[in-house]
Amino acid sequence: MTEHNEQNKITKKDLNRIFWRMQLMNVTNNYQSMQAIGFLSSFTPVLERLYADKPDELKTKAMKRHLEFYNSHVNANALIMGVSAAVEETTAEEEKETVTSIKTGLMGPLAGIGDSLLKFTWLPICGSIGASLALNGSVIGPILMFLLYNTVNIGTKYYGIHIGYKQGVQMIQGAGGNFLQRLASMANVVGLMVIGALIASIIKVNVDAQITAGENIIEIQEMIDQVMPGLLSLLVTFAVYRIFKKTNGKYAPQLIVGIMILAILLTMAGVLA
Amino acid sequence: MVTSLLVSLWAGICAIDDIGTQMIRRPLLISTVVGLIMGDLQTGLLIGATLEVMWMGVGNVGAYSAPDIITGSAIGTALGIISGGTATAVALAVPTSLLAQQLLILYRSGIVYLNPIAQKIAETANFKKVFRIQYVPMIFAFLIRAVPTFLAIYFGAGAIDTAVEALPDSVMDGLSIAGSIIPAVGIGLLMLMMIKKGELWVFLIAGFALAVYLDLSVLPITLIALPLAYLYDLATREKETKDESKSDDFDDEEDYDL
Repeated sequence: MTEHNEQNKITKKDLNRIFWRMQLMNVTNNYQSMQAIGFLSSFTPVLERLYADKPDELKTKAMKRHLEFYNSHVNANALIMGVSAAVEETTAEEEKETVTSIKTGLMGPLAGIGDSLLKFTWLPICGSIGASLALNGSVIGPILMFLLYNTVNIGTKYYGIHIGYKQGVQMIQGAGGNFLQRLASMANVVGLMVIGALIASIIKVNVDAQITAGENIIEIQEMIDQVMPGLLSLLVTFAVYRIFKKTNGKYAPQLIVGIMILAILLTMAGVLA
Repeated sequence: MVTSLLVSLWAGICAIDDIGTQMIRRPLLISTVVGLIMGDLQTGLLIGATLEVMWMGVGNVGAYSAPDIITGSAIGTALGIISGGTATAVALAVPTSLLAQQLLILYRSGIVYLNPIAQKIAETANFKKVFRIQYVPMIFAFLIRAVPTFLAIYFGAGAIDTAVEALPDSVMDGLSIAGSIIPAVGIGLLMLMMIKKGELWVFLIAGFALAVYLDLSVLPITLIALPLAYLYDLATREKETKDESKSDDFDDEEDYDL
């Protein structure tokens, strides 16, 4: 480890500047270097601090180092930037490859955790709660969704930077990483129960057809409801899930159009209402 | 004219949010505001809720660009309100989101030219200059969503209205019914990502049963799910520590006699 003088120490204010700057991180997300430019433009407060009295060629080198390919989850970026700040601060100029290797080592796994925790669990839970309220005509729905989602969205970004800086790499590789995994699996359970509730409350399939057996007219929908209310909603969703499972999640637009055509035909035939 | 300008302005704001703060970017929030602008909050809410669930599992993953749900929601909701219903909104939101997706891909390929510029800025060794690189792309990001939205609403409204009137009622009814089935697509996509282990199915069924038999809404079911998630975590963790301790120490054997 190298010694560093007190002036060149990253301050809390620098980390907060990263927080504000990273709000625009995806503006420059392109197909070549993905979020690299965004990373550098968010991360510059740290470089400004650490390289303030260094020669120009080192400044250039530092900037180019952070312009290498980079891509992760927007909220996970906060944690990675915090960790990178800590590593930048504690490494000597000749061992700066560590920064890049830690960054690239973290971006994949954390993007996965970020996606599964936020994009595919927390966001859908907020959306489900909001949508089910909005379907009953309540404006609380979108407002609640906005508040619920953004408390976590902003919170993870803000605290991610600070925690990442304070605890460094150990946190993600040690117990912290284990904690994130456990959190992901707990979130999975909550998410799936919400999905179950959503199937029952949002998907509506009503059969209009009747069977005439002698003098008795049997309403098919009543019969199904006796077996289990919402059974058709469950079956339709399961069918869609099977299709996605086979096609690996592709063809969603085609499936939507297919359902539209099928629904129109079945309505015309008097099966659905 | 004024409403189409306002809606496209809103779409542009959402576009900046989408690549920036990511606080709005979802159909329920976008459509509600479109509803407010058009003076029909109720329809905006209904359309927003349907699109929200329909596009639930849709999102950019890695380098893959998803259908543009922002332009789709804005145009779909505005034209849906004009022609009266969720059905037309869904029917329009899907194709417009796919068309607008091409513009997004164009945007992300186009700004590849920022890379050499960023390298040049690095050569100057001036940290202050880096942040400025984002200003021009932001204008483009705003335009690629605001302009199509304006064109579609300003010129499309009349055409959609006549088309909807020309369609037979049974087709419109069928579309409305489709609107309450289509959310299964979003839910199916989510299930694909969330059901990583077979045992997790029981939680989906439990949530479904609570909603169907006890008539609970989504929020209370979420709260009930919390202790269950905690128990699931305890149970799975127990198993892991057991596996570990079995392999390397046998000291407290009676601890896991149960």
